[in-house]
Amino acid sequence: MNALSLKDRFRLSRFFRGEKPVDGPIELNQRRIFILPSAPGFGFVILIFLLLLISFVYNNNLAYLLTFLLASIFFVTILHSYQSLSGLVLQQGQSAPVFAGEDAVFEVLIYNQTATARTQVQLSLENTLSFDIAAFSNCQARLQSRTSRRGWHHANTITCFSYYPLGLFRAWSPLRFNLKTLVYPKPWQYPLPLPQTLSGAAVSGITKRGVDDFAGVQTYYPGASIKSIHWKAFAKQQGLLVKQYSGTQGSELWLDYDETSGSVEERLSQLCRWVLDAEQQGLIYGLIIPGIRLSPDHGKTHQLNCLEALALF
Amino acid sequence: MDVLTNRTLFVFLLTAIGLIALPHSSHLPGPLVIFFFVMLIWRFMGIWYPRWLPGKILLYGLTFTGLALLYQQHLGWFGRDPGTSLFMTALSLKLMEIKQQRDIYLIAYLAFIVAASQFLYEQSMFMAVYIVFVCSVLLAAMIMINGRQANIKASLKKAMAILMQVLPLTLIIFVFFPRVEAPRWLLFEDPNRAMTGLKDSMEPGSISDLGLSDELAFRVKFTGNIPPVASLYWRGPVFSYTDGKRWMQGRHQGTGMKPSVPEFNGDAYRYTLLMEPQDMPWVYALDMPAGFPGELFQNSDYQMLTRKEPDKRNEYQLTSLLQYNTGLLQEDERVRNTQLPGAVSPKIRHLITALQSGTQLTEQLVGNIMRHFREEGFSYTLRPPLMETNPIETFLFETRTGFCSHYAAAFVYLMRAAKVPARVVTGYQGGTLNEVGGFLEIRQADAHAWAEVWIKDRGWVRYDPTAAVAPERIDQTSYFQQQFGDELAQLVPRRNLQGSFEWLKTTRELWRSLDYSWQRWVINYHSANQLTFLASLGIAGLNKMIYWLIAGIAVFTALLSGYLLRQRQKPKDKALQLYARFCKKMTARGLVIRAGEGPQDFAGRINLVFPELAGPVDRITGLFIRYRYGKAPTKEDLSLLKEAISELRIKKGYSAKAKSRFNF
Repeated sequence: MNALSLKDRFRLSRFFRGEKPVDGPIELNQRRIFILPSAPGFGFVILIFLLLLISFVYNNNLAYLLTFLLASIFFVTILHSYQSLSGLVLQQGQSAPVFAGEDAVFEVLIYNQTATARTQVQLSLENTLSFDIAAFSNCQARLQSRTSRRGWHHANTITCFSYYPLGLFRAWSPLRFNLKTLVYPKPWQYPLPLPQTLSGAAVSGITKRGVDDFAGVQTYYPGASIKSIHWKAFAKQQGLLVKQYSGTQGSELWLDYDETSGSVEERLSQLCRWVLDAEQQGLIYGLIIPGIRLSPDHGKTHQLNCLEALALF
Repeated sequence: MDVLTNRTLFVFLLTAIGLIALPHSSHLPGPLVIFFFVMLIWRFMGIWYPRWLPGKILLYGLTFTGLALLYQQHLGWFGRDPGTSLFMTALSLKLMEIKQQRDIYLIAYLAFIVAASQFLYEQSMFMAVYIVFVCSVLLAAMIMINGRQANIKASLKKAMAILMQVLPLTLIIFVFFPRVEAPRWLLFEDPNRAMTGLKDSMEPGSISDLGLSDELAFRVKFTGNIPPVASLYWRGPVFSYTDGKRWMQGRHQGTGMKPSVPEFNGDAYRYTLLMEPQDMPWVYALDMPAGFPGELFQNSDYQMLTRKEPDKRNEYQLTSLLQYNTGLLQEDERVRNTQLPGAVSPKIRHLITALQSGTQLTEQLVGNIMRHFREEGFSYTLRPPLMETNPIETFLFETRTGFCSHYAAAFVYLMRAAKVPARVVTGYQGGTLNEVGGFLEIRQADAHAWAEVWIKDRGWVRYDPTAAVAPERIDQTSYFQQQFGDELAQLVPRRNLQGSFEWLKTTRELWRSLDYSWQRWVINYHSANQLTFLASLGIAGLNKMIYWLIAGIAVFTALLSGYLLRQRQKPKDKALQLYARFCKKMTARGLVIRAGEGPQDFAGRINLVFPELAGPVDRITGLFIRYRYGKAPTKEDLSLLKEAISELRIKKGYSAKAKSRFNF
């Protein structure tokens, strides 16, 4: 772990936002873990002072002894709080793209390679999860984060914290990973017919790719619809072939930015709807947005490419 | 599992609270105790039948009932009993209203206060152990809240572990935390508090626990010089009448007889006396008071009494002189002060004849008795054996051990047997100089008894027979250590044990010594004792105490964190450890094993750079692979591997060569 400059070390944001985002695993150590009394902890301090006052007024040594016992417990709990997080290693995991408005799910892995079992280690982003991690074991947390805008969605500071054992202290560690996920535009929520006019050529007619006229087979290419795979040929061990159906000439569907209306976001939202609908209906479609032109195709990969282009527009 | 629905937690918490409150039932007013336990049982039922718990309106009613009970049972809200009752009632009411996790914490904290208040009533070792046990149950409940475990055993285990780790620190703080006497405004006077002080009678044989209390009796501030410590005798009740066991004030008390005014000599000492609240109207003036304010009067035994209420703290201005002559003795006084219960036994008669032989003056007889005490094996102890029948004879001829009242009583008895008027005077002796305030503090532990003998032409003369056996008792130099040293001697089992039941006696003695140590070292470890004890260790003064406190905490923290945070790792594979050593050797020469690089690939790379090392490196690699991945690893392989790696020597200069040939 790289050293921190003195200035960075005392930056207030370290306590709340955490240090600069990293890719690799983070080990929780004295640099990462912060400990402050919780609300019950402050209550405990008041209790100790009250007991001290009672002992003082009555000059009672056993009351003093109990007071000192509680004060010692308070003090030692700091170490226990530290122990509840120290030595854990956290690493970022996978995350899948989502549509705007949905919850992005970030995966974080917690490794406990020490001999100390951890109780109630909590991890929070927008939801809070708690884990009991046995010695020499690990677990996986799936943290959610609500998305609102398309584009890259970066995970905020993930806080790993624990109140264990007595709840008097909160030991926490703000962590920032280079965790991001792609957020596609929110699909237009009202029914929206696919564009009838074919871009480029002023030919109107069939928008659907022919499904009736079998035109031949072609070797499998990634992204080919699972429906179009020639299973019979596959069963005859002729390899993975994809059935081709002849479409009418100019049957390619162009989803054009200019054919949508409204603000930029609304237009992208409509395009997103079209991409989803076109793919679902098994059409061959292309995408035109200012600066980007994706030639007509179909299949999962093509759809993802289109959505990505929309997300990052 | 949600904390608020965790039944195990609730059963645990409520049981702990019941255990904490249980000892209070013996000394708090019945209605309050009943109220508390009714609420507790109600709450217990609520665990299984939540609908039975009181609603908002009923809760207000219960609160009102609780307050009304408090008001009815106590006048006032401050002090030990009202305070304890208040916290108990608050705790029981809070039990009915648990809505959040916060409420559970509040309940636990209230329970801790109730537990602490237990010590204001009883300070036995048993009670301390009990309270610590109950507190650990409370801690376990707190752990259950945070651990979300319904597992009682694990929580208790963790609580115990924390408690064990914490004990040394608690002891460090206990020893070094400066005890300061509470300022006056903080001491609210509690009418129910049992007050200690001197009694209006003395029964040496029956007392086995003398004035160990460190409680303040009174304070004295001198204007001008302070008399020498050895002459600080604070006069209290005078006992002239005895029935052989008990010594009492004569029946002439309160007849309003005026004493003859003594003739004074020497320096006059002026002082202010601040009496602590007590039961009796006695004012302990320095022997012998000459001038006193109008609210005080003197009885015929020269004891000062007050007309003010003694249960308040009172202040008096007095003047005393150390040299005085009380003059002639009235006939009735002579009769009273030579009174004996029945005939003197032949044994004592024989002793007194021996002591009296060849003496003409009373002073010579006194000197002989003192020498008898000093030279005939008498000793001083605060824990004398009980002398239930014939205490004086038992003391003089058998036990020969006791404290001031034994000596004073025996001395006066012997004097009276010789027909010399004598009487026992009780009061306090000495005092501790409070250097900050410049005044003397006289504590209950300073209680003392001495004798007065009437001598022709000198009047009543004070003799202190205790000084004959324990002069340090009077000098007050090392009173604390002397007391403890005495007990240490008792801790050593006696040699001349006889009979089969002796072990029982030894056990009892051991227990007594333990109990005494508990009293001395824990309960009475107040400011004066703390200062004396720490000074005996060379830690004098408040500053040093605080330095030691901080140092103690620092050392403890270092040790505990070392223990808690030591990295306990999975026992590593020995072969891997050895191979890591090999890799380290290679790293020192500029060859670093790459991530994901296998031993064989690494060996290949090494051979390219250091062809001359090919032999040993291949051997090491082979052994490593055979031991770690082979079907039947043998210990021999491991030791061979170890040998090969430690024998591997790489000459200096190779490193440069490696760097020049390859760019790593």
